Amino acid sequence: MALAKLEQLSKSVVQGPSLATGAQPAKDWMDTPAIFKEGNFAYPAKVEKVEYLNSQDGLNFPNAREWSPDEDDWKLPDGWEKTILDGIKERLDKFRSLKIFMDCCVRCGACADKCHFFLGTGDPKNMPVLRAELLRSVYRNDFTLAGKLLGKMAGGREMTIGVLKEWFMYSYQCTECRRCSVFCPYGIDTAEVTMMLRELLHLVGVGINWILEPASNSNRTGNHMGLQPHTFKDNVDFLAEDVETLTGVKINHSFNRKGAEVLFITPSADVFAEPGLYTAMGYLALFEQIGLDYTWSTYASEGGNFGLFTNNELMKKLNAKMYAEAKRLGVKYIIGGECGHMWRVVHQYMDTMNGPADFMEVPKSPITGTVFENARSSKMIHISEFTADLIKHGKIKLDPSRNAHVMPTYHDSCNPARAMGLMDEPRYILDHVVPKWVEMPENTIREQTFCCGSGTGLNTDEIMELRMRAGLPRANAVKHVIDKHDVNMLSCVCAIDRATLTSLMDYWNPGCGVCGLSELVGNALVMDNEKRAMGYGADGTESELPDGLRTMV
Amino acid sequence: MDLAEAFRNYEDKIVSQWVDYTLSSYKSSTFFKKGPDKFSNPVGGNTREALSKLYKLLTKNGDPQEFIAPLDQIMRIRSIQEFSASEAVAPIHAVKHITREILAKDSERKQFIADLYDFEFAVDLAVLAAFDLYMQCREQLYKVRIKEIKTGTHILTDSKCPSNLLKSDKDDPVNFPI
Ligand code: SF4
Ligand code: SF4
Repeated sequence: MALAKLEQLSKSVVQGPSLATGAQPAKDWMDTPAIFKEGNFAYPAKVEKVEYLNSQDGLNFPNAREWSPDEDDWKLPDGWEKTILDGIKERLDKFRSLKIFMDCCVRCGACADKCHFFLGTGDPKNMPVLRAELLRSVYRNDFTLAGKLLGKMAGGREMTIGVLKEWFMYSYQCTECRRCSVFCPYGIDTAEVTMMLRELLHLVGVGINWILEPASNSNRTGNHMGLQPHTFKDNVDFLAEDVETLTGVKINHSFNRKGAEVLFITPSADVFAEPGLYTAMGYLALFEQIGLDYTWSTYASEGGNFGLFTNNELMKKLNAKMYAEAKRLGVKYIIGGECGHMWRVVHQYMDTMNGPADFMEVPKSPITGTVFENARSSKMIHISEFTADLIKHGKIKLDPSRNAHVMPTYHDSCNPARAMGLMDEPRYILDHVVPKWVEMPENTIREQTFCCGSGTGLNTDEIMELRMRAGLPRANAVKHVIDKHDVNMLSCVCAIDRATLTSLMDYWNPGCGVCGLSELVGNALVMDNEKRAMGYGADGTESELPDGLRTMV
Repeated sequence: MDLAEAFRNYEDKIVSQWVDYTLSSYKSSTFFKKGPDKFSNPVGGNTREALSKLYKLLTKNGDPQEFIAPLDQIMRIRSIQEFSASEAVAPIHAVKHITREILAKDSERKQFIADLYDFEFAVDLAVLAAFDLYMQCREQLYKVRIKEIKTGTHILTDSKCPSNLLKSDKDDPVNFPI
């Protein structure tokens, strides 16, 4: 009797599942269509953004139109199937890696349970192996002999509108974080398969606004927000004034200064959005204290590169700005701020796209004399490498007790960790700037770090639920150290993280803050001739900068 | 032998069927059911942990206030997944039926079914609390979304022209944090 009721319980609340277990019907994945509804897709790109990008030399963003994924008719151009198949062919010829990734998966399943989207949704198409299969099935059908002869029996399928819709859904439920590739015995990088899917979709005018608008802004005014040079300058000036108010030390920074030794480039979000602002204040304080001969640029005013989430050509174009500006200003090398995907572009693609940057010198710290051989080709070093080197040589004075108000853990941002191997420097810095910090569980950090869930341009608010699902594995590990060690701050080295982890914590672990590492450096930094402001801490007592650079005075 | 002992005896069996039923609500649940630890398998791990705690509370006539912590652990997850409200909450209810079924199969303990009133009432309270938590989580989700828009995190794109900063018309939203 009870079991009968249990069956009814499943029946009345779950539409159409198997009566006995409450389980969803086990249909073949190929027969399960992608269904779009408000909340599970990011809004399509605005007509004027697509038109603008399409008007640019060397860029191809056709089919600008009003459309929506939840409508049946996606208003695709005539002959779109051929465009896609030609696009696949072109890419198979151009990118050897793609051909290998299409051919060599043995379906061992090692990657299947490693993706945060799968872990948060339980949707099999979010298993990396199936995500790649979405493209591989078409590849097999049209580009392999077995597929041409046997079609579906050989795992092939034709390019249809249903397939295209599936591509859109699942290439925008992948943050190109590369966690899966760490576990693949063949090194298949599903992130690159997702990149190809997104490129192919752009060929027929299928893209999202949250990516194309910042990308077009970046191309137009230099940064994602479309801010003009004077606004960018004003904001950095405001932050410099804030640092002076808090520390009593005047900041001498400059913009577009020819002949500076170093060009500094960071994500524009550091200059405009909380909590990145405090990270930017940290950079300003540090550079002032060591007397670095550096300049900001209002032209290369964005470290981020949303081209990476779009296509190869746009990524190359946006990346080229940094190097064009370095050349124009005649700097010796570039220091890059706490950005995530900027580093993937610099570390993995820049050299073949726009390099080698022979007009610059191999980065050499003017303070310690360290030569950064690892950046011999790109001529660009990470602020954490630079800072860790300063600490190692005892060139800056740090007082960790100034960070007594925080108990941080460290989130390895996907790109710095997995795309450039930056894992020890941030930890070394933390060891020196805070009294105590703790690691999250081993299988959620370093190479195995879990994504914030909103990278690759998925940090838009209309898919907040999806972001919360995808961020569950990360948030779950943070919760563990909150419960166990009273952690109250999630530190990281990525601007998208600083924005997205804030929302992630607000949902999963309210009360846990998010900060950039350079903010903690700025807090702990003992500056010459400082006169630190007084402020009220959480306990209501007055003391010197109780909340570090966040202190309200 | 009494009901309390029956609850203890069948704890593992009931909880494991309950977890199984709950995880079956996902399209692909094999890994969620098997995945080794809570960090590599957050849905499975948290569901198991929460339902085990909840079972203990439901069977010992515990203070319903204590249900909230384990319920939150599971509802916070189900509230943002692709479930309707009833789908999200239904598994909490399932333990009633699972327990009856298991006791019914045991000829020695069948007689305790008549004594399940308190337990089932506790489950009812837990289901009601789960609905409240579902609503709270949904509200929180929308608040997070609004906060993101208001604090200007969204200015990563979609920004207004900077000259908006100079506008005197206060009704016109200015999308900058500073
Ligand atoms: S790259 Fe990251 S998001 Fe994409 S399939 Fe792999 S693990 Fe998932
Ligand atoms: S781990 Fe690599 S080879 Fe194995 S299924 Fe995944 S992509 Fe294929």
